[in-house]
Amino acid sequence: MLEVFGRRPYLVLLVMALLLAPVPLLQLNDYILHVLTLFLIFAVFATGWNLTLGILGLKTLGHHAFFAVGAYASAMVSHYFGVSPWITIWLAALIAALTGLLIGFPILRIRSMPHVAIVTLAFAEIVRLVFANLKEITRGELGFWGIPPFDPIQIGETTIRFGLGNAAGSFAVAAIMFVGVHLALLLLLRGRCGLTFLAIRDAEAAAESLGVRLAAWKLFAFAISAAVVGLSGAVYAHYVLILTPTSVAGPEMLISLLAMIIVGGVGRFFGPIYGALLLTVTSELLRDFGDFRMLLYGALIIVFVFAAPAGIAGLKPRFSRKETETRKTVEAV
Amino acid sequence: MSATQFIELIINGLITGSIYALVGSGIALVYGTTRVLNFAHGELMMLAGYGVLLFAVTLGWPVLLAALATILIVMLLGAVIQRVTIAPLLKREDWAFNVVAATIGLSIFLQSAAQLIWGEQFQGVPYFFNGVAVIGEVRMPWQRIAIFLVALGVMGLCALVLYRTRLGRIIRATAQDAEAALAVGIPSGLVHTAVFAISAALAGTGAILLSPLVTVSPWMGASYLLKGFAVVILGGLGSFGGAVAAGFLLGLIESFSVAFVSTEWSNVVAFLFLIAVIWARPEGLFAGRGA
Repeated sequence: MLEVFGRRPYLVLLVMALLLAPVPLLQLNDYILHVLTLFLIFAVFATGWNLTLGILGLKTLGHHAFFAVGAYASAMVSHYFGVSPWITIWLAALIAALTGLLIGFPILRIRSMPHVAIVTLAFAEIVRLVFANLKEITRGELGFWGIPPFDPIQIGETTIRFGLGNAAGSFAVAAIMFVGVHLALLLLLRGRCGLTFLAIRDAEAAAESLGVRLAAWKLFAFAISAAVVGLSGAVYAHYVLILTPTSVAGPEMLISLLAMIIVGGVGRFFGPIYGALLLTVTSELLRDFGDFRMLLYGALIIVFVFAAPAGIAGLKPRFSRKETETRKTVEAV
Repeated sequence: MSATQFIELIINGLITGSIYALVGSGIALVYGTTRVLNFAHGELMMLAGYGVLLFAVTLGWPVLLAALATILIVMLLGAVIQRVTIAPLLKREDWAFNVVAATIGLSIFLQSAAQLIWGEQFQGVPYFFNGVAVIGEVRMPWQRIAIFLVALGVMGLCALVLYRTRLGRIIRATAQDAEAALAVGIPSGLVHTAVFAISAALAGTGAILLSPLVTVSPWMGASYLLKGFAVVILGGLGSFGGAVAAGFLLGLIESFSVAFVSTEWSNVVAFLFLIAVIWARPEGLFAGRGA
């Protein structure tokens, strides 16, 4: 538990929330707010994926499918039926969770890592192809546009508007989702549930022999993870306002998110957040050299797998332990 | 469906299937002996594509010579990739996911590097074999028939090496138990590298045969990778013969799916079939002896 969450997870989250809170009031330039908004959305996406990949230990490679399902579900329901995005994002999370259960069932019977990886990857490809082929309702690769942004909110005199071009409001929505999702997951995972997930990851057979119902817990983890990813996809859709199957469910999405999780730290609760921040910011800095982005991500994945398999989050405890050890020896002297 | 159409669908399925079988059997060979899932397998194909483009088109070498040179280079690359990126990771406790992550990174790295070096354009390679074969009412370019025949020959050669030679016995022994093989004096590490080279040769052969039909681009391998994986799972992970059979089966399924749904859905049908098989028979359709 300590390795996954660090010593004071609620304090870390509180610090993050306090750092995020004043940002919309800082009168920052819209572009910086845009980059930060993307970071927050991808951080939630990465955290959701890390739930199965790192914390449950099921090596799934197809979570960009749930991102796409969440994004398209929310976009299409709000576009075609005129339902407010404030409602459809929850519907999207629910649909993503159901999709997670759907693919969770065939995976349950498999214990071999390669099977799980390939089946989830094939599932993501099916989802991408379905959205690309249902041209009558999704317009395929031409892009689904006309997605309504979140409805404006009136607080006293000021109206807060959302969507691309309204940077402060969009940032606020992403930040609230970010803090809310991480707080909810911490509350869930710090208890029996998190212990069960880690027990399944570290010793599946032992957990089963102690009466842990593997199938039910795995499906539960899958549904939660898919719901979180679906929610981030829905918020993404109502922010960027245009979707194409390749942009949300293509290989670049898979690589970007995998890089964020690996660089941040697979199986560390806060790891994917650091990874998302680092990679979103660097990829924006490299925007002028567009072609180098995937080259950098590929190289980063290789370097981190070799040099720091526990990611950025895994680097810190080692330093702090060394510090405490030296402090102890100093005290002893 | 007329008889001619039916025969055409079968022939098309066998031709597509022979490429899937080539790619899949290479992945299966590596998985069977080393338990490594190589996500950079598609990029070996892509590099072979550029190799044949260089030798056969730019330098104008005879096709056979160009193909042999390309396959040798790709085998060398496969061996280097195994030595440099995969072998060091195998010593770790959680190597299975580390290897997957590292080869995914390598795959996207090679793809973007190819894009930077050779550009984004799709480059054509002329047909190696001209003319059209006429069998009854079915007309088929020789190039496509050659894909089937050459693939069959190369896979046959591979099976011969695996099951009838000393090297094959060594490979199968390592596949069954690498440590026990080491104990009787087989250098398992070198065998793993050799298997990677053979697998690369299979991928390279597939890419060379394909290059006139699909053109050479940085992404030419990526689309075949997932099909290769599907074939490996359908065939029973790690089974060479199973992968070959599953490759042809997948080719036929895709070919016949076109009779019922439009072409852009044929991949959906193929992957749904994969998931259905996983659900019903997780051990694969042709699970049997390993390697």
